[in-house]
Amino acid sequence: MSRTVLIQPVTRIEGHAKISIQLDDAGQVESARFHVTEFRGFEKLCEGRPFQEMPGLMSRVCGICPVSHVLASSKAGDMLLGVQIPPAAEQQRRLMNYAQILQSHALSFFHLSSPDLLLGMDAPPAERNIFGLLQHDADFLRRGIRLRQFGQRVIELVGGKKIHPGWSGPGGVQRRFTFAQRDEILSWIPEAMDSVSLALERGKRVLDSFRPEIEFLGNFPSLFLGTVNSHGGLEYYDGLIRIVDGRGNSIAENLDPKRYATYLGEASEDFSFVKFPYYLPFGYPQGHYRVGPLARLNVAAFAGTPRADRELREFKQRGQGAVCESFHYHLARLIEMLHCVERIEELMAHPDLFGETLQAHASLNRREGVGSCEAPRGTLFHHYWVDPDGLMTRANLLIATTQNNRAMNLAVDQAARRFLEPSASGEFEEGKLNRLEAAIRCYDPCLSCSTHALGQMPVVVEMFAVNGDLVRRIARPAVSENA
Amino acid sequence: MRTLLIACGNCWRGDDGAAHRVLDLLGPDIGAQLRSVQQLLPELAGEIAEANLVVFLDAAIDCDRLSLEAVLEPEAPPALTHVSRPSEIVALSRALFRFKGLAFQCRIPVADFATGEKLSPSAAVFAEEAARMLLDLFGHPARWIDR
Repeated sequence: MSRTVLIQPVTRIEGHAKISIQLDDAGQVESARFHVTEFRGFEKLCEGRPFQEMPGLMSRVCGICPVSHVLASSKAGDMLLGVQIPPAAEQQRRLMNYAQILQSHALSFFHLSSPDLLLGMDAPPAERNIFGLLQHDADFLRRGIRLRQFGQRVIELVGGKKIHPGWSGPGGVQRRFTFAQRDEILSWIPEAMDSVSLALERGKRVLDSFRPEIEFLGNFPSLFLGTVNSHGGLEYYDGLIRIVDGRGNSIAENLDPKRYATYLGEASEDFSFVKFPYYLPFGYPQGHYRVGPLARLNVAAFAGTPRADRELREFKQRGQGAVCESFHYHLARLIEMLHCVERIEELMAHPDLFGETLQAHASLNRREGVGSCEAPRGTLFHHYWVDPDGLMTRANLLIATTQNNRAMNLAVDQAARRFLEPSASGEFEEGKLNRLEAAIRCYDPCLSCSTHALGQMPVVVEMFAVNGDLVRRIARPAVSENA
Repeated sequence: MRTLLIACGNCWRGDDGAAHRVLDLLGPDIGAQLRSVQQLLPELAGEIAEANLVVFLDAAIDCDRLSLEAVLEPEAPPALTHVSRPSEIVALSRALFRFKGLAFQCRIPVADFATGEKLSPSAAVFAEEAARMLLDLFGHPARWIDR
């Protein structure tokens, strides 16, 4: 008799989700799906509020990447005002975005994924966490913690606080960047550069030892979407959208992010609260695409900083036009961390950063505004509509994790088919089930963002029989949270 | 003595902000470094290493009286989440950053996590009691050792 396995909750991700595995009559995996079980409704909450409040409100979508939401929201507000913000404001926003990506990637790599990578996918679950890492390599863990601390410190210095900084809004920013702040940030750079360089070298060695995982945890052709600058280089704050296919062929160039709705559609599936975006000209599901670190490195011709450029050239050798293995999201994340540290150092010498003019003043000039930027997990769009008084009538958020939804489902399905084989008693090895979760962790999904929830984050795995009966449910104990 | 008070909780979820209320009541002149966080994250391990005394303050829905207890080593392996407990942060700090100070956890009884910035009447009373207790202890440092 066929049956279904359920992994719930999926652990070491941001948010609530579960994985269900359908087994056939022979007990072999027939299919697997990733279900997001949260619902929040931020788009509805903002209706009737002044658009000036949106950056503060939207930053509450996520405690990990609030800066990304502040930036996209502020940019949508800039468009509603019809202004070009002062150079100092733009450079501060860029600095915050680099710090945001650095701290988020450090959390993903060192805290959430390193236990799998350094201790092994089959290590006992009780050891496969940062305390296991502590026993294994305390220096590595210390560096990871300090690297994230650096990113958070930059955010605190510039934004006034680490989480939900409200320093940016429509028209610019509110606080001047000071030379004392510059000096403190510069004092962190040598250690940060050293740590990320060591992690990258070690990461390359370790990741290459995971051959089956590289091959089967989400290795498939797809489109890749990301922001590039006017020269085709890696860009996080403001640029044009580029789409390439699984062989690196250009599919679309110079797309205006403000017009995203003309080339991106959103499909729905009955098993998830999260939508399934796709490239409209290709239809759904053929037009599904990936975003985030892997996609950004696939669409960018170069990084624009010396060390990251060297690493990017080497990275691109791993693919035939594009790197399609989702496991390489980890490596892409490391290269992006390096790039961010380089960019932060570079920005400290940028005279515009210290400018005194921080705001472009205007009243409402448009009724519709779109803001986009590259968030740690991929391209983020905020789209607002307002009435003549500037009160929000509608909002649409297109979140990075949402855009990877179909890819995560394909990754789980591929991993389940390759790694799950029941024992004679019908049980599955924990390490094999962990590989399904690891397939999801490649994408570092933020389900709080993508469902725009409250509560606990971990995933559940469920197994179902052909007749739909739940045969087995695997859930880790929940813990109380403060967030 | 370098003292660090860490208030944990979400001020927008009613009584979950009780710990932050305690810091407000103590004020900036208390002679301690004050930190407000929504949740405990590993990078705090580096920060507390510089203190001789660290007190974690948090709302507790599962108790009915104010408590101040030493933070013990984690008994079980930590859960695989992005949120940490005081015991885990302290253990990390001792192992990675050579924290040698004293660590305590102050649990403030609360009742209501509904959306909003207002504390329930009972949580407000316990927050005031916590502030008084900490003030008293700061006036008599030796009592920390006794605890």
